[in-house]
Amino acid sequence: MAMTLPDNVVQVTELSKKFPNGPLALDRVSLEVPKGQLLSLIGLSGSGKSTLLRHLNGLIQPTSGTVNVLDTNVVAAGRRELRALRREVGFVFQAFGLVGRLTALENVLSGSLGRLNGPRFGTLMYPKTLRREALENLDRVGLGDQVFQRSDTLSGGQQQRVAIARTLMQRPSLLLADEPVASLDPESAAQVMDVLFRIVVEDQLTVICTLHQVELALGWAQRIVGLRDGQVVLDRAVDNLDQEAVMDVYRRVEPGQKVSEGQDLTGSPSTRVS
Amino acid sequence: MSPAELSQPIEQGKSETPSSTRSLESRLKRKTSGDRLFLRCVIVIFIAAVVWAWRHIDMSFSGLIAGVGDVRNLLGRMLPPRFSDLDDAIRLGFETLWMAVIGTTIAVVLSFPIALGAARNTTPHPVVMAVCRGIIVLSRAVPDLIFAAIFVRAIGIGVLPGVIALGLHSIGMIGKLFADAIEQTDKSPREAVTSVGASKWQAITTSVIPQAMPSFISTILYRLDINLRSSSVLGIVGAGGIGFLLQANLRSLQYDEALGVVTVVFVLITVMEFFSAAIRATLLGGDRTLVGRSTPRASLGSKLFSRLSTRGSESATSSQRFNRDTVRPPWIGELRMKTIYGVALFILIVVAFRSVSLNPGELLGAFPDVWKVITRMFPPDFTTARQPIIDGIIESVAAALVATFMGALISIPLGLMAARNVAFNKFVYLLSRLFLLFVRGIPELIIAVIFIAAIGLGPVPGTLALAFGTSGFLAKLVADAVEEINPTPREAVFAVGATRNQEIATSVVPQAIPAIVSNLLYALDINLRTSTILGIVGGGGIGFILFNALRVLKLQTVGAVLITIFVVVYAIELLSGWIRKKIL
Repeated sequence: MAMTLPDNVVQVTELSKKFPNGPLALDRVSLEVPKGQLLSLIGLSGSGKSTLLRHLNGLIQPTSGTVNVLDTNVVAAGRRELRALRREVGFVFQAFGLVGRLTALENVLSGSLGRLNGPRFGTLMYPKTLRREALENLDRVGLGDQVFQRSDTLSGGQQQRVAIARTLMQRPSLLLADEPVASLDPESAAQVMDVLFRIVVEDQLTVICTLHQVELALGWAQRIVGLRDGQVVLDRAVDNLDQEAVMDVYRRVEPGQKVSEGQDLTGSPSTRVS
Repeated sequence: MSPAELSQPIEQGKSETPSSTRSLESRLKRKTSGDRLFLRCVIVIFIAAVVWAWRHIDMSFSGLIAGVGDVRNLLGRMLPPRFSDLDDAIRLGFETLWMAVIGTTIAVVLSFPIALGAARNTTPHPVVMAVCRGIIVLSRAVPDLIFAAIFVRAIGIGVLPGVIALGLHSIGMIGKLFADAIEQTDKSPREAVTSVGASKWQAITTSVIPQAMPSFISTILYRLDINLRSSSVLGIVGAGGIGFLLQANLRSLQYDEALGVVTVVFVLITVMEFFSAAIRATLLGGDRTLVGRSTPRASLGSKLFSRLSTRGSESATSSQRFNRDTVRPPWIGELRMKTIYGVALFILIVVAFRSVSLNPGELLGAFPDVWKVITRMFPPDFTTARQPIIDGIIESVAAALVATFMGALISIPLGLMAARNVAFNKFVYLLSRLFLLFVRGIPELIIAVIFIAAIGLGPVPGTLALAFGTSGFLAKLVADAVEEINPTPREAVFAVGATRNQEIATSVVPQAIPAIVSNLLYALDINLRTSTILGIVGGGGIGFILFNALRVLKLQTVGAVLITIFVVVYAIELLSGWIRKKIL
């Protein structure tokens, strides 16, 4: 099992994480994600979704277990390897992660920093080709008119679309999204998810996206993985899944029930949907 | 109002049920909580310390009255001011300004890497962090005039030791505030930039620095104001600037000429404050916490600069046309404003270096000499001048205590009068603000030099000068704190039919007290630093020993004095920080 299968973009084995002075955030989590899959991680806040996601590009180092992403052993990777991996993996954050004082274009350009050496101050320190590419990416998310606008003057939905354009600068093959629409109103959320979905399909990306909204997850993903208290408690293709089963993830259940559900899961480890 | 008084009407109302009255009375007796007890202890200890200090420096009411008479006599001989060598005064005034600009530039250049090393989220290593924080604490504890006096011995009289002294001392404040700003940045943009594969330094320059920039600018402008005040007295120890002319006039008893020089200093400082308030308002317009309250001066200033600032806001919303091929940001609005200010700043620095005929190479060349002098202070010699050092530092602490107390007595009522929302009428408000502007426009050490000329050598004139300076500085802080208070409780108290004085006592003062006490402790910190240098101009305290040891080049004794000053200043800073945290 230690070997990474060629068609698995992500392979996590027995991953555990304990934060200093904190509870066990992840408890022996194993997960395989084949190329091109749209996977949604669901669970209560504090269930370990964000922590799991941050392990995949090495923002957090695990306590035990292995993490292989795009044929890179994230745990053993050195700084250089990690940078190389992060270039390939897009990350969209709940809080957008934009520098409010910089223009939309400059924030998008910062997505190319992984390809460049040395620090950059200001738009003109990026090569012209990258500036054009950034402009195209802003067009792609529908913000061609806000190129030189300060990011903190944009609406929440627009800011998240800038963040998506920044990720596109990486030309990623794997996209991780951590609650991308949780701090948006329903209308902006729908707009952002549309943009994201269109890009994912067009660019044939593999996506792991944590979501709060169950309906959104059901309508969008091919496979749903539920986490509770750092453990995987649900892992199924969306086709044979109803709302009730998903809602179970959000309910407190007895320990005994948890085990049986877990057994049920091990029967079908990675439900491939193509 | 005591609890007993309060309970009276209630008692009458419930006179039929004595048992409940009893319980009411006992309920009104508030248990003294730990925090209140602590505050009371602090006040008692502070007053006891002031009484001891008052006696220690031989301060007396009769002496005080005599001192006021002496100062009035001197003022009589000073007025009207004479400007016989106004050209010289203006030339030296500009030199003072350029020194402040160069000193601040040096400090910013040195502080930037130190702050990155000292901030928890950017430091490369805990050891680096400890070293950087150590440098910040050390350079803050040694006043710039002491640095200047030492460097004058090391590299000779002139502007050079002055600007290096300003630069090194300013690291303390600039480095600390820069590091604080870096630590306060939002970490999510940095995480985002890191996750695209940016290196640590790319992430810091792209996500951390832009966030901290407004705070950096605010700090630099603030420090430039302070450095202008400092650089106008550096001439007293031969480190360049207008202070030299003042000293010369006082020595030759040309008091009217001296007042002319003081007038030039005053104009310089006031104009500078006006400009920095205006620049702050335009550059940081949106951010109220950084701009501070919009003072009349700031708003007048931002009107002057409004051509730039309005264009800045207009660009934020409209979509601009730009060349889709080159994708260069259009040179309008905020970008243009930044460029103009940046170029102006660059020109200012170049002009500053040229005007004092200093080249950066010369500046760098001086650092080995400075370093040599610093190393010659070690190992420090505590034994030769043990008793004078102890007496000196005690005298300095005593002077600081008395000055802070006297300053507080003057500044609290003055501050209330200068607060727009409390002042009796517009006339009193304007008069008080004008007085504050006047007091703040003259550096404390200049006041000390004048008082010493009037009263004679010793800690008393030094203390009085310090008290005078404190009252201006503290009154402004009190006035600002009072203007910030919440108006709702005031309305409520007026609504029950209270008089104006009742209302101030029950709603204004209690609301403003935490800020006032905090500012008082801050003033004590600053006064202690200043009182260690009063001895250099003959105002008593440890500065006198330092200056004497320097004159005969007993550098190891200088080292001992410096360490003593550092330990005491730092201890008081920690103590006042602890008290502040406890009572707020």
